[in-house]
Formats: sequence, C-alpha cells, structure tokens
Amino acid sequence: MLEIYRRLIGVQIRGQMQYRFSFFMELAGTALITLLEYASLALVFARFETLKGWSLGQVAFLFGLAELSFGIMDMFFSGFDPSFFGLQVRRGFFDQLLLRPLNITLQVIGSEFTLRRIGKIVVGIGIFIAALNMNPVDWTPLKILLTSLVVVSQVAFFGGLFIIGATITFWTVESIEVVNIFTYGGSYMISHPMHIFPNFLRYFFTFIIPAIFLNYYPALYILDLPDPFDMPAIAPFLAPVAGLWMLTLALAFWRFGIRHYQSTGT
Amino acid sequence: MRLFWELTKISFQRHLTYRAATVAGLVTNFFFGILRAAIFVALYDLQTEVEGITLQGAITYAALGQALIGYLCMFSWFELMNTVYTGDIASDLLKPMNYFSFWMAQDLGRAAVNFLLRGIIVMIGYAFIFDLVWPRGAAQIIAVAVSLVLGWLVSFSWRFLINLTSFWTPNARGILRFFFVLSWFFSGFLMPLRFFPEWVLRISYLMPFPHMFNTVIEIYLGVLVGPEMILALLNQVLWILSLILAGQIVLRLGVRRLVILGG
Repeated sequence: MLEIYRRLIGVQIRGQMQYRFSFFMELAGTALITLLEYASLALVFARFETLKGWSLGQVAFLFGLAELSFGIMDMFFSGFDPSFFGLQVRRGFFDQLLLRPLNITLQVIGSEFTLRRIGKIVVGIGIFIAALNMNPVDWTPLKILLTSLVVVSQVAFFGGLFIIGATITFWTVESIEVVNIFTYGGSYMISHPMHIFPNFLRYFFTFIIPAIFLNYYPALYILDLPDPFDMPAIAPFLAPVAGLWMLTLALAFWRFGIRHYQSTGT
Repeated sequence: MRLFWELTKISFQRHLTYRAATVAGLVTNFFFGILRAAIFVALYDLQTEVEGITLQGAITYAALGQALIGYLCMFSWFELMNTVYTGDIASDLLKPMNYFSFWMAQDLGRAAVNFLLRGIIVMIGYAFIFDLVWPRGAAQIIAVAVSLVLGWLVSFSWRFLINLTSFWTPNARGILRFFFVLSWFFSGFLMPLRFFPEWVLRISYLMPFPHMFNTVIEIYLGVLVGPEMILALLNQVLWILSLILAGQIVLRLGVRRLVILGG
C-alpha cells in the first residue's frame, strides 16, 4: 500500500518539477497569501492594540497553528479537494480509477499532491515561532504533546471535510462553493479567537461542526488563558476526538457515495 | 462602437445564466463578510473611530469588500491567457476590432452582471444584518459611481496587461496568481490601507492596486472629500491611461513573437 502511494506521489512531484519556474511561482504565491493575510492583521495591531483582549502573540499562536495544519492537509488531501475532484468526476478520470484493481481511496489521495503548499506550511511555522517569541509559553510535556496532537487533529478534521465535499460532487458534479464555508471558512475562523464571533456562528462551530476544539480550546490551555464559556475542563483535549470523528464520518459517507456512484457518462 | 455594445450584451447574457454559481457565491460572501465584520468589532472594542473610520464604517467596508469581489474580479482572471494556450487567440486577433476593446467589452458585461447580482444584493443583504454607512447627497453618490467605474477600468487594464505574459511563457498561471495575491493586500481588500503604518501606504501607492478598491471605499465612507477626492479620482484616471498604454505596447511586442500552435 505505502509503496504504491509513494510511487503515485513520486509521479506527481516529478510532473510538477517539469515546470520548475511555474512551480516556484506558485510556491511563492501560496507562501505570500498566508504571509499577507497575517501581515494585514499584525500591521494594524499598532492602531488597535488587542483583538478583544488578545495580544498579537496570542492571535499569532492560533494563526500559525491553523495555517500550518491546513497547509499540510491541503498538500496530502489535494486529491480530495472538491474543486479538483469535481473536475475529475466531470471529465471521467474518476471512472478510469474505478476500473483499476487498486483501492480507490488510495488512488484518489495519490491522484494529486500539491507540493507548492509547502509555501503555506513554512510561513505557518514561521508565524508560530514568531508567536512563541512574542508570547513565551511555559512548556510542559503535556502541552508539547497537545500541540502536536492539535496539528494531526486539524489535518484529519479538514481532510475529512475535503472528503465530504468531494463525495457531494458525485451527485452535484460541480464542486459546490458552499463547502468552502466549512473548509476555508472553518480554517479562517479557527485562526482567530472564537470569542470574537457572533453566538450563532460560534454555536454552529461548537455543536454541529466542532471546530472550536481544534485550535481555540487547546490554545486556551497552552497559553494559560481562562475559558470565557465555562466548558468542562476536558474541552482543550477534545481536538483528537473532533478530528477523528470528522474523518470517520467522512470516510463512511465516501464509501456510501462510491456505492451509489453513477458516473456522468463522459 | 456598435460591435462593442453587442459583445457587452452577449457577455452580459452569458454571465446571467450562471445562476447557481451566483447563489452559492452569495452565501459565501455573507459568511466571510460576517466573520470580517466580527474581527472589526473585536479590534475596535472600545474605540469609536480609528484613522477617520468609525466602527460602522469598518463594518460597511467589510460588506463592500464582499460586494465588489465579483465586480472587480478580485480572485483570478485567466480568460485571455487561456485563449493563448488553446489557440483561440488567433481568430480573436483577426476580428475587425481592437484587441483591447474586444476584451473590455466582454469584461464590461461580466462586471455589470456581478455588480447587479452580487454587488447590490450583497449590500442589501448586509443592510438587514448591520447598520451600514450610505453615501450622503448627490455629489457623493456621483463621486462613488465615477470611482467605481474607474476602479473597474484600473482592474481591467491591469488584468489585461498581466495576462499578456502568456505570450512569452507557458507558465503564466503561476505569475498571474502571484500578482493577484499581491493585489489583495495592496488594494486594501484585506484591510483598509489607512490602518497600516505609513511605509506600507507609501509602497502601496507605487502600485495600481489601491486605485481599484481602496480609493472607492474611501470615497464611499466619506474619508476622502473635497480636493483630496478629486485628486484621487484623477489619480485613478492617470493609472488607467498608463496601464492601457503599457498594455498596447506590450501587446504589440507580444503579437510579433506570438507562436500559435493551435489545437
């Protein structure tokens, strides 16, 4: 399995390297998006001082973690990126994959590997390091473990959302833009402290899409900040549960989708 | 000129048919606008006015940003580039019409649909959720309208120019994406430019980007008034003329070396 995956990805990377100039432009582009989005917030902190009580260092902690995790997810799960996958379905490439005697999930995840996301990951790590400089953390073994679990959980969570978005295209053919609200919108939200958002949005991203546990609650614990919503003390440690729950749900939906898939006839 | 309006009309009708995409886009616009408004509420906290922009103005800015994404084609525009790679450009260049006007007419149709279906609807929608700032008096309304049209012209002539890179390289997509990313920041789309430190402002105004969006919102919010406003409008015109001129020169150079492989 792993050998096949390695080879599929190898082909992707070699392919992307054929257009080296284009590759580096796109890499610079993805790095720049992340950097400028962060800069647009960081540069106005001098005028506003805090984001409802949170310092730049604290916000950067959230921002860096969310960006680097989303970058890793976007690189490994780009085969399931709804806009990419929808195109595969529409053009009939997905039907070709179904004909091959290989696990279909493996083939889809190996069908695209956007190496240029490294740009986003590197900038994310840079922002995270800057955050630690602005706002030193009293590290304990538990906090270090939690931080690494947070990254893994976010990758699983948003990877799951990508899979759900991709599965929906079995029926809609076009990728539906509303899915972006959960993927890119969710990631944008958790890059900021959740207490700044209106209640209805926060409730939605707590109880229906449990994104609040992926970044905000772990950050409260790691940065030693009080919980404004009086959640149970276990809340900071629920990130892996949320991530695993989303990925499991997504894979179940994906299998259901494959069983009912009827091609587009192209 | 008749040809120009015909093309505009056809493009208008074509873009009108993408109804499902428009509705989906509207939902996304609302979602992101609400998030961005919430960020302003959190930033302002107890302050009432920063750099001449009130909290109400900042929220209106967030709404305007979402309303104008489609009209100004903020995220990407590869249409001209694609015709170079498909070979369709060969027949486009043979048309009895200036190549710049040919694309401008089509983009006008696209912009008009997006202005009506996304721009206006997004603003009306936000007006139900937030207490927005509206232009006061005929003079300001006219200034906003003029600035909006000029903003589109800056945006279009810039998009035309950068798409021409596809004449030289098969990898224009990466280059274009890079430029678009720059434009999000330096046009004031991510944050009103006047919130940034002085040096960022100075760099921004060396580029065409602020004249697409930031000028429009500053006039809309009443931050730019009187002679300053007139100067800003003239600046927009100056950028349009320079960009069009640059576009014509680059086009002439490009056509000379363009190799159409066809497909």
